[in-house]
Amino acid sequence: MANAEQVNPLVPQIGKIIKIVEETPDIKTFHVTTDKGKPFTPMPGQLAMFSLLDVGEAMFSITSQGPEHLELAIKKVGMLTDALHEVEVGQAVGIRGPYGNGFPLEMMKGKDLLFIGGGIGLAPVRSLINYTIEHREDYGRLWIIYGARSPADLCFKDDLFKNWPKVKDCRVDVTVDKGDADWKGHEGFVPAFVEKLGPKPEGMVAITCGPPIMIKFVLQSLEKLGFKDEQIVTTLEMRMKCGIGKCGRCNLGSAYVCLDGPVFTLAQLKQMPDEY
Amino acid sequence: MLKISKDQIGELLNIWAKGAKVFVPQENGGTSQFKAWEGQGKLTLGEGNALEPPKDLFFPRTETMYRYRVRDPEASLEELAPLEEKRVLVGVRSCDARSFAIMDDVFLTKGYIDEFYRQRRENTAVVALACTTAQPTCFCTSFGIDPGRAEGVDLQMWPLADSYLLEAITPAGKDLLEQAAALLTEAADEKVPAAAQPSLTADVGGVTEKLQQMFEHPYWEAVSRKCIGCGACTYLCPTCHCFDIQSENRGDSGYKFRCWDSCMFSEYTRMAGGHQPRPSKKERLRNRFLHKLQYFPERYGKFACVGCGRCLDRCPVSMDITRVVREVKEVTL
Amino acid sequence: MSTIQEQMRTRARELLTSGEVKMVVGWEKGALWYMSPPAFITDPAEVDRLVWDEFCHNNLAKYLLDYKFSDDRLAIFVKGCDARGIIRLLQDKQIEREKVYLIGINCPGLKDERQGAVLGEDKRAELPLAARCQGCRHPAPVVYDELLQDEGTAAKGEVAATAEDRFTATAEVEAMSPDERYAFWTNHYDRCLRCYACRNVCPACNCRECIFDRSQSGWCGKQMNRSENMFFAITRAMHVAGRCIECGECERVCPEGIPIMTLNNKIIKEINTLFGDYEAGLDPEAMPPLGKYKLDDPEEFL
Ligand code: SF4
Ligand code: SF4
Ligand code: SF4
Ligand code: SF4
Ligand code: SF4
Ligand code: FES
Repeated sequence: MANAEQVNPLVPQIGKIIKIVEETPDIKTFHVTTDKGKPFTPMPGQLAMFSLLDVGEAMFSITSQGPEHLELAIKKVGMLTDALHEVEVGQAVGIRGPYGNGFPLEMMKGKDLLFIGGGIGLAPVRSLINYTIEHREDYGRLWIIYGARSPADLCFKDDLFKNWPKVKDCRVDVTVDKGDADWKGHEGFVPAFVEKLGPKPEGMVAITCGPPIMIKFVLQSLEKLGFKDEQIVTTLEMRMKCGIGKCGRCNLGSAYVCLDGPVFTLAQLKQMPDEY
Repeated sequence: MLKISKDQIGELLNIWAKGAKVFVPQENGGTSQFKAWEGQGKLTLGEGNALEPPKDLFFPRTETMYRYRVRDPEASLEELAPLEEKRVLVGVRSCDARSFAIMDDVFLTKGYIDEFYRQRRENTAVVALACTTAQPTCFCTSFGIDPGRAEGVDLQMWPLADSYLLEAITPAGKDLLEQAAALLTEAADEKVPAAAQPSLTADVGGVTEKLQQMFEHPYWEAVSRKCIGCGACTYLCPTCHCFDIQSENRGDSGYKFRCWDSCMFSEYTRMAGGHQPRPSKKERLRNRFLHKLQYFPERYGKFACVGCGRCLDRCPVSMDITRVVREVKEVTL
Repeated sequence: MSTIQEQMRTRARELLTSGEVKMVVGWEKGALWYMSPPAFITDPAEVDRLVWDEFCHNNLAKYLLDYKFSDDRLAIFVKGCDARGIIRLLQDKQIEREKVYLIGINCPGLKDERQGAVLGEDKRAELPLAARCQGCRHPAPVVYDELLQDEGTAAKGEVAATAEDRFTATAEVEAMSPDERYAFWTNHYDRCLRCYACRNVCPACNCRECIFDRSQSGWCGKQMNRSENMFFAITRAMHVAGRCIECGECERVCPEGIPIMTLNNKIIKEINTLFGDYEAGLDPEAMPPLGKYKLDDPEEFL
């Protein structure tokens, strides 16, 4: 999986931010390219080590890509991400990757796919949604259930309300923990919403990502609905430094999340220590 | 087999130092460390291993990975020249020689090659020195390591009363002997001395399988109580390889470096948002032992401990990995 | 009279059995004869693990921080230096006095474990006094709930050093030229691994979040190199200034054998000169000199 052009996997390419989309008050999507075009071509669910050279480096999921660029949706949570939220189009950045296993596309082929995302957790899932839309004939029905704290905190609003609902056999359901005066949609937490919508597990794979607490309850809801561990896929977040399974810190048992993850089925996760 | 008088060891090192940088254990502030040989210095090639393992020579405490210049919004990056310095590492004990094989697995396999490590490793010839006396904390033989003959080295030396015996193992080792031909004589009557016999042991058979069932066991709470969560055991361990990557800025330029890190530290797994998968010393100490005795064997098919005893020797609370192995095998599930 | 070790076990058994305490913190035999690391006993059936010998070095006071948020009462054994550690923590309001039961031991002075490793068990009787004990002025605990009875055989007087003894090494460094002094300190701290054993073991280091655990903050880089190591060395020493109880644990646990006490003592000496003689961890009521402000404080320092 190593990138052929890059001799030293720990040294980034210099890239440039060509577009910034303000998704929510604390989430922005950055479009990144390099002089030579797209930095690399990731598979859905893979990761990129992204940096402001003089501030720091951190691992992010790649939420989407175009022929010439990669997209990373980043939430403000610490020093690097705070700094990133200050930059403007034209800013030089470091980028290396792609890292990680990505989603199990083969296993999902021909299946109906249920995407469950919370907050920024839609970012990694979105790479898969867009991929399956591009390869529409390879997959069954698509169903996206997404929630955020408030209407203002919903990411990728264009996709949620315009693009995805137009796709053939694609259903989108959105909820917010708490609505505002203009909100006409559903109110409530994602796990309860999933149970209420009651997707049937037959021939379906559920893909979920979001805050750890949400994932925990979504998993319970899915189990209640009859999903088997092999039918549930999730992606994990850990602190990472190298991205190539050497620096040690992202281990879950003998697996390295940066290399062997970040995507695991629930069946796999249950075999691993509960330390994430 | 060849031999050299102990008095001439300095001359031997001088010869090797002509074509390479020579690193050899030397006295330093009351400790024994692998240091560059500069024609003089107090060699510590007698009993006992160097305090710090030689891993620093391949995987330095701190190393610059690349430099950068940032003049917002532009930035540029300057890679470092390949590390081509030839080195000879002298006085490596059998335990540390095994550790190189373990580090090779980490840095050179599983899809990615760590260039910094590879360049140093490939440019270094290793001269081993057999142990005839074990330190009280040594238990290398528990891992099938022979203190009398190291694995994967270029040249093996054995200490006698006033001389060393030498045997080349690889072409690189043969070359080292040829360079020093003038100092060497044929060893006619001398015999290879008996290897050290460590008195400490750890019966590691089956410990991986037992640990696989023990992640949630209350044992970890009990055994971790005395640990003070320092990094001494991991930094002095020849097989611990965790690192951090950070940058250092000076004005509009700076460099990215990596430096040793330790799974015993709170910052190690703490995420940007504050989430902490290993909140206390219980989880951290458990990770250290599981890494050595379960995770590494699962991933690479060998233990990540070579029984050098440094962790036990220098731990402020004498955390004893041989006792952990024993207790793990004894506890009821 | 029963030995200290017998009394330890007896009292531990009584305290645990009666339920007065949930845990007893003492020392036990380690892997080798010269190791007596901390032991945590919760089951009265295990009190025979407890030992008292010339290698019971670890200052147990610091462990109380691990149980700060527990409601359980603990008993711990305190030598002279452990007791001063307790006072230190009490002064910093880190622990509650009622939650800990202190069993005092008049310390005869402990032996050098590294020498033990080098010389072997045959020479056990000849081992020198540990460095940390050579300058000790308070081998008898200054605070306790009960005191174990001496065996009477211990050479108790051996350790009660004079006020000056502890500054011998510091004076030697002071006598060096600036260049020599720079070489002395850099040579030692170039070896520093930044393992933080010296900090973690120290009863005066009890910040909830240490700056050295926040490398992202930019205060101190994580590089192990001369400038960052020296910054660490000096900052650590300054952070314990006026609060260091001179237990010498930092130097004992340093895996690299760095003479940390020489630096600590330099600061203690300066503080004594500037603010008058003070010894930390003796009197819980006395404010440390750097913790209070007086109008006539000297200012050269600022
Ligand atoms: S050296 Fe000892 S006290 Fe320090 S972290 Fe390791 S086991 Fe814990
Ligand atoms: S764990 Fe301890 S004994 Fe094993 S290799 Fe590391 S330092 Fe040596
Ligand atoms: S562990 Fe074995 S090889 Fe290593 S120093 Fe000790 S006796 Fe020698
Ligand atoms: S600085 Fe050293 S001597 Fe002073 S209290 Fe801390 S550990 Fe003890
Ligand atoms: S204990 Fe020694 S090596 Fe470790 S950080 Fe302190 S001074 Fe450095
Ligand atoms: S980030 Fe370094 S091993 Fe995963």
